Amino acid sequence: MNTQGTWIVSWFDLVGLPKDLPHWVYTLVSLVCVYLFVVIPSAVLMSYLDRKLTADLQARIGPNRAGYAGVLQSIADFLKLLQKEPQFKWGLRENLWLVSHTMALYSTLAVLPLGSLALLVDTEMSAFLPFWATLVLALGTMLLGLTQASVPGWFGGIRVAAQTLAGSFPALIALVCAGVRAGSFKWSSLVHSQSFALWGWAAISNPFQTVAFFVFIISGLVILAIPPLDGGLSQSDIHGGVSSYLHGRRLSLFQMGRLYGFFFWCLITVVLFLGGWNLPESLVSHLREGESWIMLSFLELTCLLIKTFFLMLVVTWVARVNTRVRVDQITDFSWKVLSPFSLVALMGASLWAGWRAL
Amino acid sequence: MKNSIFKSVIVYAKDVFFGFWSILGSCLTAFPYILRIGELRKEVTEGYPDPVSSKTADDLPARTRGLLFNDIDRCTGCHDCAKICPSQCIKIEDEPGSDLTKRWVSIFDIDFSKCIFCGLCVESCQPNSLFHTKQYEGAAYQVSDLVASFGRGQLTSEQREKWALIRKSDQNKKGLS
Repeated sequence: MNTQGTWIVSWFDLVGLPKDLPHWVYTLVSLVCVYLFVVIPSAVLMSYLDRKLTADLQARIGPNRAGYAGVLQSIADFLKLLQKEPQFKWGLRENLWLVSHTMALYSTLAVLPLGSLALLVDTEMSAFLPFWATLVLALGTMLLGLTQASVPGWFGGIRVAAQTLAGSFPALIALVCAGVRAGSFKWSSLVHSQSFALWGWAAISNPFQTVAFFVFIISGLVILAIPPLDGGLSQSDIHGGVSSYLHGRRLSLFQMGRLYGFFFWCLITVVLFLGGWNLPESLVSHLREGESWIMLSFLELTCLLIKTFFLMLVVTWVARVNTRVRVDQITDFSWKVLSPFSLVALMGASLWAGWRAL
Repeated sequence: MKNSIFKSVIVYAKDVFFGFWSILGSCLTAFPYILRIGELRKEVTEGYPDPVSSKTADDLPARTRGLLFNDIDRCTGCHDCAKICPSQCIKIEDEPGSDLTKRWVSIFDIDFSKCIFCGLCVESCQPNSLFHTKQYEGAAYQVSDLVASFGRGQLTSEQREKWALIRKSDQNKKGLS
């Protein structure tokens, strides 16, 4: 049993399951736990907060029917979408989309950094794994568009591909910036190089990391086509783009994928640049001495998720008060502004790291 | 210095800075909406009038164009509403009644699946029998349920003959006087 396994074993103790099970059972159970208790509640909460914030900014009321102040609205919408009947039969290429989409979604669950104890995959390359998954997610979206025998689908698919290509380069360089500072691409060492206090965060520690942080979050919006940079999906001339022929269960799957991508990108941004799950030193040592692993992982997770939600809400805020950008403007911006800035940030961050090493 | 690379770099940096600045400005402009300060705190949209929003149908504006209602006792069967209706959703059938001033409206159907609630029929109605109610929930499970019937029903042949006699005697009286 490695250190990563300890947290799930202590959860097992709590619910009274045996301790001497094979490793794959622990892995499977922890994946299901992460999905059920972290991803789905986060998606429900975020879609509600997003709608309420958008309503506030547009002087509307927003959801107010399902539950108190409409808190159950996302669940109600999901249940409604499940009831809808499919209009068209699924083809081979739609199945391909479903497989790649699902693969991208669930492969990232294993590498999701959720706390110092809740880490399943913590290798030297683990920071690149979500990046790969994001590309697969975008590829699946593109394939979905190209499968539809329609103009919105084709153009939407091509635009999604263009955006993904444009956003990947600066995102990768910004990721390298964070790795240069920490000296590793392990989640644990990336977070360990930062601290709970504000001045210990990577994004604030030096100006080049600040630039890298902005480049990373914005290029993530470009790759995943999240508002305000969702020109590839939501522009008016292709009315809905890739998702224009989706409805019912397929639409809910697509929307969940987008929401999950957004959540996921904000989560790794927080881990790379905004202090991650770091708690105050004294608290951590106190909890570790008392061996209260459940409390420790719970507090770390809460800290991480609060930062993530805050980042998501800030992005939503920017999205709602600015106009939607055209797809060619997005790719233009990504190649001509984000990429040069990411290169400058990488050079500066390398020099800074070299200076500190001397 | 006109086409120097330094100048273009400065112009580029300026553009990026102003782009950033304008986005920041728009975000700050929207701040009162989030915190709900001052005049901007009130929502512009209105809640749907039902118990959840604690509003009633009476809270609707005075000239709300709700579902149409025809007071058949006052209706003269003049067909003005059916003639002016742009979507041709009013169907009227009538025949001579017991007295000469008023006709017997046997069928007066308004098809709300076609109605566009323009209110022209209400404006053209001379005896003011047709009017908009404040009823707004007109959804139905069948399209045929959307037809509202206000007619008095078909006359029997006995009644028709009886009234024809009455009308004739009335006409004779008028002719005599």
